[in-house]
Amino acid sequence: MEHSLNCKTEKFCPRGSISLRSMRTGTAVIEQINFNKQHISQLKDLADLDGFYTVRTLVTTSDSIREIEYLSSVKAKYFLDSRLSDVINAWILPNGEVMAVTFQVTNTTNGNVLEATAAEYEINSKFYVNHVDQAPVPDTATYIQKLEREREAKEKGDLKDNRPFYAKYWMYIVPILIFVMISGAANPEPASQPAR
Amino acid sequence: MNVKERGASRKAAGREVRQASGKTAASEKPRAKGGGCCNRRCKRAAAATPHRASLHTCIHTHTNKHSDLRYCTAYTVHSTSSSIHYKNFVFVTDTQLKRLFILVTGRRQTYVGRIKFAQFDTVSTAKKIIVATEENVLAALHLKTGEIVWRHVFESDSSGNIRLLHVGDKITTVTGDNPYLVRGWDSATGVLMSEWSLTMQDGSRAEFSEFWVQNGLLVHMVPIYHSHIEVTMYNLMTGSNRGATSKLPASWIDPGQVISICLFTAPYYTCVSRDTPSRMLLSINVTSNPIQVIRRSLSSIMQGAPGHLRALDGNSVIPGLIVEDKKIVLFKNNDFKVLNTDVPHYIASATVADTARGPVVMQIQSSRGYHLIAHTLSGELVPEVHSPDSFYDIEEPELLAVTCARDQLACRLLMNTVDEAVHLVQQGGVILWSREESLANIKSVEFVDLPVSEADAALESEFDQKEGSVWWSFVRRLQSQVQQLQVLVERLRSGEVLEQGPASLHRDYFNLHRIMVLVTEAGKIFGMDNLSGSLVWNLYLPTLSGARTILTRRAARHPHTAMITIVGTHADTGNGYIVTLDPITGRIVPEHTVQLDLGILQCMTLQETGDDQLRALVILDEDEAVQVYPPSAASLVHNVHMYVADPDTAIVKGYAIRYNGREVVSERTWSSYLGGSRLARIVSVSSRSRLERVRSPGRALADRSVLYKYSNPNLVLFVLEKTDPTHKDVVVSVVLDAVTGAVVGASSHRRARALPLAVHADNCFAYMYRSDKHRRVEIATMELYEGKDRWSPAGEPFSSSASWRAPVVERQAYILPALPTAAAFTITERSLTDRHVLLGLSSGGVVEVPWSFLEARRGAVGEESVLPYLPELPLPAERVLSYNLTLPRLAALHTSPAGLESTSLMLATGLDLFYTRVAPSRTFDLLKDDFDYYLITIVLAALVLATYGTKYLASRKTLKMAWK
Repeated sequence: MEHSLNCKTEKFCPRGSISLRSMRTGTAVIEQINFNKQHISQLKDLADLDGFYTVRTLVTTSDSIREIEYLSSVKAKYFLDSRLSDVINAWILPNGEVMAVTFQVTNTTNGNVLEATAAEYEINSKFYVNHVDQAPVPDTATYIQKLEREREAKEKGDLKDNRPFYAKYWMYIVPILIFVMISGAANPEPASQPAR
Repeated sequence: MNVKERGASRKAAGREVRQASGKTAASEKPRAKGGGCCNRRCKRAAAATPHRASLHTCIHTHTNKHSDLRYCTAYTVHSTSSSIHYKNFVFVTDTQLKRLFILVTGRRQTYVGRIKFAQFDTVSTAKKIIVATEENVLAALHLKTGEIVWRHVFESDSSGNIRLLHVGDKITTVTGDNPYLVRGWDSATGVLMSEWSLTMQDGSRAEFSEFWVQNGLLVHMVPIYHSHIEVTMYNLMTGSNRGATSKLPASWIDPGQVISICLFTAPYYTCVSRDTPSRMLLSINVTSNPIQVIRRSLSSIMQGAPGHLRALDGNSVIPGLIVEDKKIVLFKNNDFKVLNTDVPHYIASATVADTARGPVVMQIQSSRGYHLIAHTLSGELVPEVHSPDSFYDIEEPELLAVTCARDQLACRLLMNTVDEAVHLVQQGGVILWSREESLANIKSVEFVDLPVSEADAALESEFDQKEGSVWWSFVRRLQSQVQQLQVLVERLRSGEVLEQGPASLHRDYFNLHRIMVLVTEAGKIFGMDNLSGSLVWNLYLPTLSGARTILTRRAARHPHTAMITIVGTHADTGNGYIVTLDPITGRIVPEHTVQLDLGILQCMTLQETGDDQLRALVILDEDEAVQVYPPSAASLVHNVHMYVADPDTAIVKGYAIRYNGREVVSERTWSSYLGGSRLARIVSVSSRSRLERVRSPGRALADRSVLYKYSNPNLVLFVLEKTDPTHKDVVVSVVLDAVTGAVVGASSHRRARALPLAVHADNCFAYMYRSDKHRRVEIATMELYEGKDRWSPAGEPFSSSASWRAPVVERQAYILPALPTAAAFTITERSLTDRHVLLGLSSGGVVEVPWSFLEARRGAVGEESVLPYLPELPLPAERVLSYNLTLPRLAALHTSPAGLESTSLMLATGLDLFYTRVAPSRTFDLLKDDFDYYLITIVLAALVLATYGTKYLASRKTLKMAWK
């Protein structure tokens, strides 16, 4: 891991290293240099220009033949604002190849600007390993199961439904009966008119 | 949106490579909210500003979707603009039906491609021209109008390649590449009459085989170098072989030089001998019996000729050659006959046609325009056919076919030009019709707004003037109103009808009328009226080639004219070539047309404009240096980011571009190996459309909370294909932020092959791939969400550099029961309307699929607003936008918003052009076409009358009551 800060002649100089023990668990050991006053002042100069703090990552794996270079940048202003804390994301393809290593600054809301008072500053880095996972495939199996369940439910419903007529529809018949009875009680039939 | 070339991909003929090389640039500036909405039209737009619309809009669209859902599942109603007339079809007259049909289905224009062979069909009663094209199309063109009578589209690869076209009493074609298919067609209807296949035993010689038809037999000839010529004859209808293959001894055929030195002009096979000191022209009639070799020394034909041969064009009635682009040699009575008239120009086209005065040699004299010279074989001029003056401005005409009347000297010539246009020219140089066949190969499309009419422009200029006091503006108001009144009085006096004919190129009320700028493969640029489909202007730039892109530099806003820039490569040098033109008139703007000294890596336009409303063009060249056009706009460049992807290595690099006070510089800020260290290929790239807007920040859930969308305008979707030792082919899709290079989401598909189809809008992504395991096409979708809490307060502009949180990626996949060849999202003015995905299918239809069918959250438990999950996408016939029209070789779909919120304009390109309007949420802001104006007027009038009537009656009644 190299960065483009406080390098005298060359473009990039070492910033630290991350060694990843196991790709699956994502446990990693991060070793990084501390920033001194020169680093901070240079970073401030960059921030004034609205420039970028660029980090170059050279990735080597146990079985790889060559180093692969990944570049990533953050705005120097945001990096200062976040008090030198960043998030490093490494994206790894299913076959173990590294796709991208990106740096992003964390929350920049605490606005107090770093003053170059202390002699050294520690870089706060969080490292995450992201795996490119399998995309879902069209889920036909559960859909067919669902259809079958529905069909079974329907068949079951048909089988159960052999109760007698009154047992099945008593809830409709009773209210009708009650209604008829009430209406019958309310208006008693008028007495037949006497013949003239 | 932009371009990139690399040495290898520049020349590569591969379609995927070119498709994948289209890159976008991203600007970190968030898209201006409702940018350019200052005109009055926006105020008419039905709904609230999309960005501000928070929960209210959310729920609104959500219910909208919900109601749409019912229709979708029932498949009874579809949402295209005018499905309403469905039942009335039976009762309308034929012309009405035709008009209605165009209204319902949109407009189609059919093409055949660049013509390879053409013959006049003089046998059948209805006169036609039968053509075979480089697009592997066999078609019959109407002799009078040039319209297609019938058409057959063969396979697009070499198996559909037409090798022979012969028109007799029926049409014979030979297609393919060992095995060959010999087909017979009925010339009147185009119906297939017979078909048989011909396979050569020795496939290595197949590419040198020649076919022709003689005396009703198909003759197949293969030269074997240094040895002999094999000639076989077949029955045209059945393919039965008459006798064995005859082998003609011809040891003089020189190997290796067969392409340049040997030539076949049926039935003569001619070579230039190389071994003898004086070069000989050797020729053999391969069908004659006994065999006789004709010899003649080349120097006797022309002194010092190295031996370049070219055949006569246009189905010459007498076989012949052009030696060294100078001398015409005809085969007559089994001997060479050298004509004493020279070919005037090195690309001049010549042929021999049968006329009333016997065979006549016709030559096109110059490379530009139409100069026809006609001689008889003895060399005397034929003045009747002769046409010495150039009538038309046509480029490098080449004779395709000539037919002349038997009794008089009247000829018709079919000519091909270098810009892929076809002209039928009559005696005296009258062009009967022309076809622009280059439109069968469109590279790039842009919809351009028309300028507003003068009255509207005056109004706009009135409101544009911001300085001045209240009184001044009041005075201006009065002035313009007086002007308007004058115009009105004038118009009434002259009795002019207020009508917006298609001829007037002014913006209409709903901005539906546009100019479509079409850039073709041949380098011809067209301006097409989208309503009538007529070509408004065309421009031929022979040196424009390579991957192209169109950028709108300036909209037509008074007093400026519109300006668009086409970025391509120069055909000769491969360097960048920038052409700027006015899309309304097609005139080149010379001061903005530049030929660069270097190739272009990437280009984009700035968001901000200068004083002249012109957006500056920023170009990143091969040396990673930045050029800005116009250079005066350099100071506007700040916070601009670009990315460059190499399709062959899958390396993506990001650049930050800024102005440092003196010049504009680029700095590489990020780079990624998207395919890992091993070989991978970027198949397609999709970034957000420039016209796209965000409609709402989130969507409402069933529990009344809001799921906020991750609406990053700088996202780009890459679809890669790579080989994997365990899973064969793997498709990897990566969504990354083009400003920081941060990967936002990624997923992989095992045992799959990517299709070059990826679309992206807002927070939605969709791409298609072929699953090798299941042998079907699947569509994968992704949606990005911030979650139930908002990361930044509402209205705050988004910044890629300041964000670090990763969004939630929802993913889903569906089976597509068809083979897609093109895909696009519908775009509407404010993006309030539902979003549909338009799919162009290999079967020739354009289907619209609502996003609610595809969305990644489909099937979420406990959600009412999403549909239950179905693994297979239904593509019902009602959703086919092209109705019964088949669009062969559909290549791309282009969408553009109309001024109406409900409507999106769509152009499908491929072999044919198809234009229609799409209304994803149905035409909610339009009255239906059959809206009953009379009924509503009568009802209103009756109501008003009734109100006053009852009022009168009521007052009378109260009066009477008072008297009592």
